[in-house]
Amino acid sequence: MFDPDRFVDEAVKDLKEQIKGKALIACSGGVDSTVCAVLANRALGENLYALHVNTGLLRKGESEEVKKLFEQLGIKLYYLDESGRFFEALKGVVDPEEKRKIIGELFIRIFEEFAERHGIEYLIQGTIAPDWIESGDELRETIKSHHNVGGLPENIKLKIVEPLRDLYKDEVRKVAQYLNLPISERQPFPGPGFAIRVVGEVTREKVEIVREACSIVEEEIEKASESGKMERPWQYFAVLIPVKTVGVHGDKRAYGYTIAIRAIDSVDAMSGSFSRVPYDVLDRIATRISNEMGDKVTRVVYDITNKPPATIEWE
Amino acid sequence: MVTRIFVIDNGGQWTHREWRVLKYLGVDARIFPNNTPFDKLVEEGVDGLVLSGGAPRIGLKEELGRCAEYLDRADFPILGICAGHQFIARHFGGEVQPAEVPEFGKVEIIIDAKHPIFKGLPKKSIAWASHNDEVTIVPQDFVILAHSESCRVEAMAHKERAIVGLQFHPEVEHTEYGAQIFENFIEMCKE
Repeated sequence: MFDPDRFVDEAVKDLKEQIKGKALIACSGGVDSTVCAVLANRALGENLYALHVNTGLLRKGESEEVKKLFEQLGIKLYYLDESGRFFEALKGVVDPEEKRKIIGELFIRIFEEFAERHGIEYLIQGTIAPDWIESGDELRETIKSHHNVGGLPENIKLKIVEPLRDLYKDEVRKVAQYLNLPISERQPFPGPGFAIRVVGEVTREKVEIVREACSIVEEEIEKASESGKMERPWQYFAVLIPVKTVGVHGDKRAYGYTIAIRAIDSVDAMSGSFSRVPYDVLDRIATRISNEMGDKVTRVVYDITNKPPATIEWE
Repeated sequence: MVTRIFVIDNGGQWTHREWRVLKYLGVDARIFPNNTPFDKLVEEGVDGLVLSGGAPRIGLKEELGRCAEYLDRADFPILGICAGHQFIARHFGGEVQPAEVPEFGKVEIIIDAKHPIFKGLPKKSIAWASHNDEVTIVPQDFVILAHSESCRVEAMAHKERAIVGLQFHPEVEHTEYGAQIFENFIEMCKE
């Protein structure tokens, strides 16, 4: 079985051996990058620079939570708001692979700028097994280019170090539990954020809508699981489908977007079955989304495909 | 001595999962690309081989790295999964064709014949599959071990040699008795 104690010892030792000098770690606040940051902090101490980039594509209140978390961990966190650059780069882009690559490259450029200012040579990434498996290689098909692997540009000035490469999420969670991290059970959130939960072109308006809808899905599903109505799924979120349909709101015609609810059970993200969310929970989510979002959303649907044939995220 | 089982990587999405399941079961597991020479595997002390799945369409293609060489020369057990299974069928004179009904995701496996690989499994169980092609004609030296509603050959085994093919994926978390199947394969490798 997987032994987190041994893994931590070996990973810290490896990081010490591999990294001579300063290293940067980009922290989203998720399980993978936070575990990496704690390991790297043990290995490198003051030579570690933790950076949180606000892409404008993050969950509600995310950046504030990351700041709090790192204060709790006692790791100094640098913060950059780069949302303007991300929206600018994504303008007019529809293809999901292109979106992922644009975001992967922009992240790297921002890291390089930061690294140059601080004389940093290494970049530590929280890449886990599904990221490189699905990104493809000489032998493997590309299913989707994860921003931190398949989305990387060819010319990178930083040396990349990936201590979690051979682990799956359930193993990373075990390491997080072993390290007593409060975020060990957080649901996964993709690096490209809401850019891949808005199907098609990404705009600030659409991201606002899906962010709000996602927060309602999270709230309601967490409430229902805490009260014992259902098991908390592996992942649960909203996707904006850029298809407008007709509704009737207070005797008036409404014409708004479609929101898909996705809730899926998995252990390692490599296979999954859609969650049997009780109808009354779905009902409450649909009602809240339509009421709270006015005529921006006129229809809510539930995704009932497993992985395979579908993937967890829509893009 | 610890059992050494190597996973031959044919580029599958779940190759690394096969490695993980074997590792969890206490085996010395390693992944090798499918162009690794047979002698290299012997040099490394191989006790058993898993031929992973992968995107290549075996129904349409004749080769799968050096898998033919492994099948011809091995005196240890071989477990082929998905594309690995299809390649075994084709290599020993069977046939692989695009499936009339491809299977993606959940399938019910029904066991038809007894074999060490299915020791301890009930007649029916849930497994995860993901394939466009399937074995349509089983080679002469093989017997069918299991089927599903839309796939006649979910599992097959060589009549004399320790070679087994599975169309479904025992390494996937969602396959009910996946770990049991790997344990059974490890037992075969120890003998």
